[in-house]
Amino acid sequence: MSEHIAYAELSLFAHDKLAVGRERREEIESHVADCAECGATLDFHAAAEEDLGDLAVWRPIVGSTAAAMSAYANQCAAEDAEADWLLQEFFEKPRKAAVLNVRNLRKFHTGGVVRRLSAKAHEVVASEPLDALIFADLAQAVAELLPDDTYPNNAVYELRGTAAKERANALLRLAEFDEALEALERAERAYEHLWSSGYGLGAVELVRGAVYYERGELREAAKHADLAEQLYAHLGLQRQRMKAVFLRGEIAYESLDYAKSAAIMQQVMQFGEEIGDGSWVARGSYCRALCELELGNLGEAGELFQNALVILREIGPTEDRISTEWGLARVVLVGGNLSDAVRRLRDVTAAFEEIGRVMNAALAGVDLAEALLFLERWDEIVKVASHAFRVLKKAGHLTGALTALAYLKEAAAKRQLTPETLRVVRAYLRRVEREPDLLFAPPPGGER
Amino acid sequence: MQDTRREARRPSPPPPDEAVAAFEEAYLRYAPRLQRIAIRRFGIEPGDAEVLVQDVFTTYFQHAADVQMLEPYLIGAICNASRNFLRRSSASKALFCGEQPCAATPDDALLNELARKTLLAKMLARVGEPCRDLLRRFYVNGDGTEVLARAFNITRPAVKVKLFKCRQRALEAYRSMTEKTNE
Repeated sequence: MSEHIAYAELSLFAHDKLAVGRERREEIESHVADCAECGATLDFHAAAEEDLGDLAVWRPIVGSTAAAMSAYANQCAAEDAEADWLLQEFFEKPRKAAVLNVRNLRKFHTGGVVRRLSAKAHEVVASEPLDALIFADLAQAVAELLPDDTYPNNAVYELRGTAAKERANALLRLAEFDEALEALERAERAYEHLWSSGYGLGAVELVRGAVYYERGELREAAKHADLAEQLYAHLGLQRQRMKAVFLRGEIAYESLDYAKSAAIMQQVMQFGEEIGDGSWVARGSYCRALCELELGNLGEAGELFQNALVILREIGPTEDRISTEWGLARVVLVGGNLSDAVRRLRDVTAAFEEIGRVMNAALAGVDLAEALLFLERWDEIVKVASHAFRVLKKAGHLTGALTALAYLKEAAAKRQLTPETLRVVRAYLRRVEREPDLLFAPPPGGER
Repeated sequence: MQDTRREARRPSPPPPDEAVAAFEEAYLRYAPRLQRIAIRRFGIEPGDAEVLVQDVFTTYFQHAADVQMLEPYLIGAICNASRNFLRRSSASKALFCGEQPCAATPDDALLNELARKTLLAKMLARVGEPCRDLLRRFYVNGDGTEVLARAFNITRPAVKVKLFKCRQRALEAYRSMTEKTNE
């Protein structure tokens, strides 16, 4: 093979073949046909000739978009740092934030304040929904005060949408469902100002699905959970997508389609294993165990609860761990080992009370009453019901729930309690937290 | 059931400086690709495509901490943005991009082209302003040697020599960059 062709000559040849003499042209053509290295170089130069006419190639140099994006990112980072300092005392004392009149305080009128308030609302919504609502309200108020052109490309609407979505999330936790739906509509209207609003709209659909789920409108809930799943999947956001999948599983459970719910929860478990996230494995195991329990597969249910428990003992949260111990106690109860079930359910009830989850304590108390009913230990049922009544009353709980527990106690005292009465009381207690106005209706002929 | 579906804990956001640097890097790396997708796959004009790309990045920055895999996120986002754009401008005709993966996910040929053009863009950044100006007029504006001769007040053969030298300079930049990459 002849000598390689010089880079400069190849470049010239690619630019203008006629600039090279005919004889040399043929030599070059013949060489590059056999020489992969020179052929590749010529291809590159030929392509470069064409590419140089493409405006996109010049854009990073002639345009200032990269600089504008950089300036935007730096502006956000500076605002965030300032917001951290400004909001510190309010994060420590959320009630102070509730009385803060931001309208007159210009130093709070930044995107950073909105971002930090929304993030804080998100962080505390599960444990302190009222504080989350305070922060989200404030975030929304500030977001509305910001000029529309605070950021390039209408990005201020992303902040407004997020603040409204966080409000909806807090309202959902506080069982203010109509207001939550209104907040979600507001978030959606904000996101309409953006071209790429998929992330925000996914969150809106997920929370909307959860609102309908809590209201017991399961068909509507499933529709929105599906939408959220699609939106997240399209963006490759697997963790967020799995939240929508999980909600679908919960909806199937509430629709009494336990086999479907179990299959979905299996997906959740597998996802957790794939990404090495124990919390997803625990969540999936726990919920699948509930399904297996309903399907009468006690062995499988017990094994799954145990799997979840191993993880939750290590990583928490405490409430989920206690819920899993409760599940195990129910497996024992359904399995007929009544004395063991009584012991376990007493522990679970006490544990829930200790962390202030009094409604769960009352529900575990109903299970305890069921075990005691099989053992015909009537006096103990009366004590359990009285205790649950006192605990709920002390916690300022709802009249309907107290009525249901009083009814249970009365029926036990008269030795007229039946498993059907317990089922009705249990179902009522589960619903009344979501629907505080719901009245307790005793079962027809509930007392023997 | 266990009340865990709503918004699991977010990962801690990176420190501000790191977040900004990561954002800038992401922009430089992916913006040309996203723009290409909007133009090539959805037939959007370059100016509008640029706006859409910026929209994707400005919204992305607001929740960057929640995005685990950047590339599929950005590609999905530009698909959605393009689709929204076409829908709103009433020009959408069966371009719905709801499938997974998005039909606009670039193929190898497009990715190779983008890589080449990104390299070329970096190369142009190294050839100096006078050469960039000349090359840009020649390749982008389509100015012939006669127009360039008048503009620079030199003869047509001198324009050809200048063009040759600028291409040589670009070539050297290219070689130094590829050598660096190969090291």
